[in-house]
Amino acid sequence: MNELSANHFLLLSAALFIIGMMGVLTRRNVIVIFMSVELMINAVNVAFIGFAWEQNSMIGQTFALFIIAVAAAESVLGLGIIMALSRRVDTVDVAAVRELRE
Amino acid sequence: MPLIVDLVNPDLALMLPQLIVLGLAILLLVADIAVPKARHGVVLTWMALIGMGAALIANFTMVGTNESTFNGMFRADDFSVFINLVVLSGAILSIMVSSSYLEGHIEAGSMPLAEYYVLLSFSVLGTMIVGASGDLLMIFLGIEMSSLAVYALTGFARQRVSSLEGALKYFLLGLFASAILVYGMAWTYGATGSTNLNDIARSLSGVVTDGKVEASLLLALLLLIVGLGFKVAAVPFHMWTPDAYEGAPTPVSAYMSVIPKVAGFAAMTRILVQGLGPLRDEWVILIGVLAVITMAFGNIVAVSQRNVKRMLAYSSIGHTGYILAGLAAFETINPNGEISVASVLFYLFAYAFMNIGAFAIVTWLQARGSGTDLEDFAGLGSRSPLAALAMAVFMLSLMGLPPLVGFYGKYYVILATIEADMVWLAVAIVLASAVSAFFYLRVIATMYFSEPVRETPRTSTPLLGFGLVSMVAGTVLLGIFSSRVLDLASDWVQAFSVPI
Repeated sequence: MNELSANHFLLLSAALFIIGMMGVLTRRNVIVIFMSVELMINAVNVAFIGFAWEQNSMIGQTFALFIIAVAAAESVLGLGIIMALSRRVDTVDVAAVRELRE
Repeated sequence: MPLIVDLVNPDLALMLPQLIVLGLAILLLVADIAVPKARHGVVLTWMALIGMGAALIANFTMVGTNESTFNGMFRADDFSVFINLVVLSGAILSIMVSSSYLEGHIEAGSMPLAEYYVLLSFSVLGTMIVGASGDLLMIFLGIEMSSLAVYALTGFARQRVSSLEGALKYFLLGLFASAILVYGMAWTYGATGSTNLNDIARSLSGVVTDGKVEASLLLALLLLIVGLGFKVAAVPFHMWTPDAYEGAPTPVSAYMSVIPKVAGFAAMTRILVQGLGPLRDEWVILIGVLAVITMAFGNIVAVSQRNVKRMLAYSSIGHTGYILAGLAAFETINPNGEISVASVLFYLFAYAFMNIGAFAIVTWLQARGSGTDLEDFAGLGSRSPLAALAMAVFMLSLMGLPPLVGFYGKYYVILATIEADMVWLAVAIVLASAVSAFFYLRVIATMYFSEPVRETPRTSTPLLGFGLVSMVAGTVLLGIFSSRVLDLASDWVQAFSVPI
């Protein structure tokens, strides 16, 4: 068990993914939810790198690079929306933003 | 190395419709600076319309091609041609709906027109890329391109809290869904050793003949379906839909009720049918159950809605259920008489016309100072008979009354489910349509049998009016000539039948 194997990558990735998912589902602060989703996306990167390492192919690594680029674009947009909203309502609590309810 | 040769000499002619839309987006950015602000309304709207129209014409020259470029990542085949047709028609109709609304400055403090059209073009481009992708990476990039632009469009009226709130909810849940989707792609890659859809199908066809499927593949399948379920707003992954549709400016609701959904269904078909087709026995039942829950929930909750935008949001969830039922009827890629994916494509095309139309009438009323509640439709039949007639056509078509296009959409889906021996799905569709008749007819009853509360002021919205006329004509004519459209949609088989 001292040798590095693909299972180690996958366990790390699964742990990160589940931590991120719990964060999204239980937290109420928008910034923390946002950080949790970023954690999930990075867990995916770890999984891709692990699989690429196991199969000795470059596809997984390329995919991970693209995911990093897309995640950066998503952060810009998300923080923009949060900025615009916090100027209006002065809060980052999702439960406080509740105008749209039937 | 064939890989390097392929990347140095990509066959750009295959990407013509996509390149035209990309060029349009860049030109619109330039025009934002070059054209004087006072003339923005006319110049930019017509540029967008002509650009999308040119892409639509270029798309028709691609009918019948079946080739790939960029090392199999980009495909030009009959499936991508039909998706382009749906997306570009939807985009042209949305631009017509948007122009009057945005030029009329109904939303105080919204962003300028140029940004709107640029974001719309990029979202259209992303959806076209999903339709034309031959690789999981392209599907991921296309979906992200499509949805990122729509998140921004949802928050377009940035002075209004409800618009930003809708954008925030859509963004957070959309991002969550993307993470799940891409994790599913990682597991698919891990289990099959490739991200190319045809290679995935090839490596799976060997695995599945043993009759047992690995747990890692099932995990991948589940993650992919959950991620895409969020994107197409299937119950129980629909939480963002009503808030985003109600909060967004109405023309944006019209747009996002169709095009991102097309992206989701294109991705679903590409991944599940082309890539994971050998796993059909595993995913068909999942999609079928999802379809029944979705159409039941969407239609039942829509009954209690008083706000027309919110009602249309739930009704669009119901329509997601019908389209999923068409996908659940998939059996094999068989050139003779397999109409499951064809019925999905046909329904998406039908849905684009009638659903953008319904939102267009709400926009038409808002341009005349009206609200979006059901009471605002009271007496529309006597106040403005033509608008009421158009709304009645869209409602009856969404309900599924022959000979309108909505009826044929449902008819082909039911036919596909019966051919696949899934009578329970067909029964569910009929029952859900019966429930939906209640809230669609209620709009018609309010328009014709209620006393008008106030007059409709006269406002000139020529492009919106023209858009409404073309959508009514589309809803009626596509119904009458539905077999022609279905023939075009049935060519999907050629796109997916790969030598294994």
